[in-house]
Amino acid sequence: MSDQLPPDPRLEQAGASDESLLAVHEKALGKKPEDGAHYRLLPLMLLFVFSGLIFYAGTYLNHFSGHYSAAIFNENAHPAKAGAVAKVDPLVLGKKNYDLVCTTCHQATGMGVPGVYPPLGGSEWVNGSDERLIRIVLYGLKGPIKVKGADFGAAAMPVFGQVAGSGYNWSDEKIAAVLTYVRQSFGNNSPAITAEHVSAIRAKEGDRKEWSQEELLKIP
Amino acid sequence: MKNGLTFFLGLFLALALAFTGIVLGSHAQLGNLAPYYDENEGKAFPERMPGIAARGQLVYQDLGCAACHTQQVRRPDFGSDKARGWGDRQSVARDYVSQAAVQLGDNRVGPDLATFGSRPLAVDADRLAKYLYEGHGGMPGYPFLFADRKIVGERAANALNVPAKPGREIVPTPRAVALVAYLQSLNNAYEYPEARPVEPEAEKKEGGK
Amino acid sequence: MTTASTAAPTAEVTEIDATARCPLLLLLGFALLWLLVSGALALVNLVQLTTPTFAAACPVMTYGRAQAMQESAFIYGWAANAGLAVTLWILGRLSGAPLRSLNWTTAGAVFWNLALLLGLVGIATGDATVHGWIQLPRYVLPLLLVAYGAMAVPGVLAWTGRRQDTTFASQWYGVAALFLFPWLFSIAQMMLVFFPTRGVLQPLIAGWFVQGAWTLWLAPLMLAAAYYLLPKISGKAIRHYEFAALSFWTLLFVGAWTGGRHFVGGPIPAWVATVAGVSCALLLFHYIVVALNLGGAFRPAGSTVLWFVGAGLGAYLLGGVLDAVTSIRGVAMITQFTHFSTAQTQLAVSGAFSLTLFGAIYFLVPRLTGRAWPSLSLIRGHFFAALLGTAALVLALAVAGLIQGREQNNATVEFSAIAVHVKPWLLVATAGQAVLLIGNLLLAVHLLRAVCPFRQAATAPATFRQPPTMEASVS
Repeated sequence: MSDQLPPDPRLEQAGASDESLLAVHEKALGKKPEDGAHYRLLPLMLLFVFSGLIFYAGTYLNHFSGHYSAAIFNENAHPAKAGAVAKVDPLVLGKKNYDLVCTTCHQATGMGVPGVYPPLGGSEWVNGSDERLIRIVLYGLKGPIKVKGADFGAAAMPVFGQVAGSGYNWSDEKIAAVLTYVRQSFGNNSPAITAEHVSAIRAKEGDRKEWSQEELLKIP
Repeated sequence: MKNGLTFFLGLFLALALAFTGIVLGSHAQLGNLAPYYDENEGKAFPERMPGIAARGQLVYQDLGCAACHTQQVRRPDFGSDKARGWGDRQSVARDYVSQAAVQLGDNRVGPDLATFGSRPLAVDADRLAKYLYEGHGGMPGYPFLFADRKIVGERAANALNVPAKPGREIVPTPRAVALVAYLQSLNNAYEYPEARPVEPEAEKKEGGK
Repeated sequence: MTTASTAAPTAEVTEIDATARCPLLLLLGFALLWLLVSGALALVNLVQLTTPTFAAACPVMTYGRAQAMQESAFIYGWAANAGLAVTLWILGRLSGAPLRSLNWTTAGAVFWNLALLLGLVGIATGDATVHGWIQLPRYVLPLLLVAYGAMAVPGVLAWTGRRQDTTFASQWYGVAALFLFPWLFSIAQMMLVFFPTRGVLQPLIAGWFVQGAWTLWLAPLMLAAAYYLLPKISGKAIRHYEFAALSFWTLLFVGAWTGGRHFVGGPIPAWVATVAGVSCALLLFHYIVVALNLGGAFRPAGSTVLWFVGAGLGAYLLGGVLDAVTSIRGVAMITQFTHFSTAQTQLAVSGAFSLTLFGAIYFLVPRLTGRAWPSLSLIRGHFFAALLGTAALVLALAVAGLIQGREQNNATVEFSAIAVHVKPWLLVATAGQAVLLIGNLLLAVHLLRAVCPFRQAATAPATFRQPPTMEASVS
């Protein structure tokens, strides 16, 4: 635009008054698109761009939303399905707890101490009836017991299950894991014990005192 | 936009929507996040910070350590945090539930510190204190965390093994001791269920380890 | 085709400017003071990056504390004061009446800046809180909130009491900034400082606050100035103005959702970062319309003010694109936790915001004082120093960040080697910051000369010509 005054760059002159600025732009808001391809194309193009952005946004959101879960930190992950919680290897869990507690008496070798603590490796109690084995760990055992031909005069297996008088309150899963570990270590090779089986026995027996050898032998 | 009320309502709505979506939404998800109780360990994770470490966190905060150090490990296939030995698994929200002031940090001028307590450097408190005094790698020393004092009787047990003027010793102030304890306490090795890595292409995860 | 206002053409400078003179000059004075303080601290920070031992033995100048101080001085000192001064003035002008209750602004400004000074001393002595852009100690935060409310009073009155029923884009952006910041700020204070939320909610809310303070406060302040200055100086209506409202609401409604863009791969649920990235992409629509509207600023045609506005606008648009690109996960993996993020912040606040506001200051001050700027070469010097300094700072930090990010993700590169590899670029950034600081010093000196009563003889009284009436036709 042409300047009437000698331009002084140190002083920025206004090109329009505030009133006219407001008025012109207010008018522009209401105006219909002018004739001429340029102006009719632009809204269409903007609409196109906007739709494109929304499409991209929707796709991205769909792929990487992590199902809006509070527990998903990796956008590629799928939410854990109910019940499909990643299981811990029972042998690992069993060994951890065996090393923590059982080794005190049965030793790291699983062979116990002759005359005092019965062995687990090759034991007919461990590899035999799982009904009996689970009951021993759940409720404990008191009194004399014969293992691998040797007599143990005063065995005192503590109560491990979640039952009255228990000092450990181990969950059924943990007991199953430890028993599975014991049945598959120290040279043993017997089938695993499931947590469901432990739960079933615990439900059947309710609260009771420690077993004795005679009581156990009546159980198949 | 002639109507002032509509305009104001629009402004209000703009902020209120985002506030609801991001702040309240995540608050509803994470506001009650509790430590994870592990039956097999018989403990809840993350474990509470010892009191002295909590005080050390305040020192960490007031010196502005977070300007150069992050405390968030990225998952192994995202960047090379694992390969650098900064942590085997990704940090998750639960790692931070017991911290008073969470300082994730946003620039790695120095290494990530989320699992610093489990690194060889952190094992020896005296050596760590010495690094804080003298500086280490690109990190400057912070001598004002230490006192230069006259030896009275025996040399103090925690005096630094650094050159000092004859008859004098450099000992950590309580702030330095707290900061060292805090750094040693930084460890989030526990594997929360939500922190387990995701197997690529479909879920074929079994066995955990 | 002229508009109706031909009946009573008003002079360019009226009592609107005269009454606002002292409070607004006070705000600008504070603003420039803090800008220099922040620039000097930023320089210390950058020197510390290449020479870690620099000032390290001094407890008030650890890297972290200097960083917190320079950031606070910049945002709450320079940006808040300057942004308010310019926006209040624009709102007053467009309302067609002198600003009312300016004493509130004066009183608010005094308390705001005293609180800020106290806050910086607090940070230096170890009272900083931990979250970005809200690192000031807890005891000054409520005072800042109250002072901001007081300072904004005349702006609100100018909006509610405007003469015309019509409104203009500058008014939307200005009023939005005035209203939204106190809400954001009080939410952040409550949920981060006084009743802190649990765990990672803290960084999450802090990130939301920082992005909100940019998209709902500083960016609108800057756009308010740009939307006013361009048509005002060029005398031509804004092109495609009919889309401006859509762009405005896009910024407000979508911008507030971009808060989680820094948390890609972090300990915050994945959806937060995804939603933020998507919002950054949607926000591109806003940037496209702003580019269409204000593209004229890239052809300044001899107007020094529009040089600044054009440069600021360029930085704003580039920043928008970079935000969208770096919120994509594959890119974020490289750029996050590096100097690249710092470069982006600097591009926004030192580039887009500051450059535009400099332009506004050059336009505004002669109208407040009634005198022309004393020296053209100082203005030009400032422009080139600011442009060159900002460009060098941002580019060098960006390159350093890319190197840093790539090498961090390559575990075969020793961690300590990364610092060596980025050092040359950090030196360039340091030089850029120094040039920037010198440029800003020029502005401060110039302003001092312009308002100093003893130097009046040296400055020419401003003669403003009668502004022509704007043509309705767009070109």
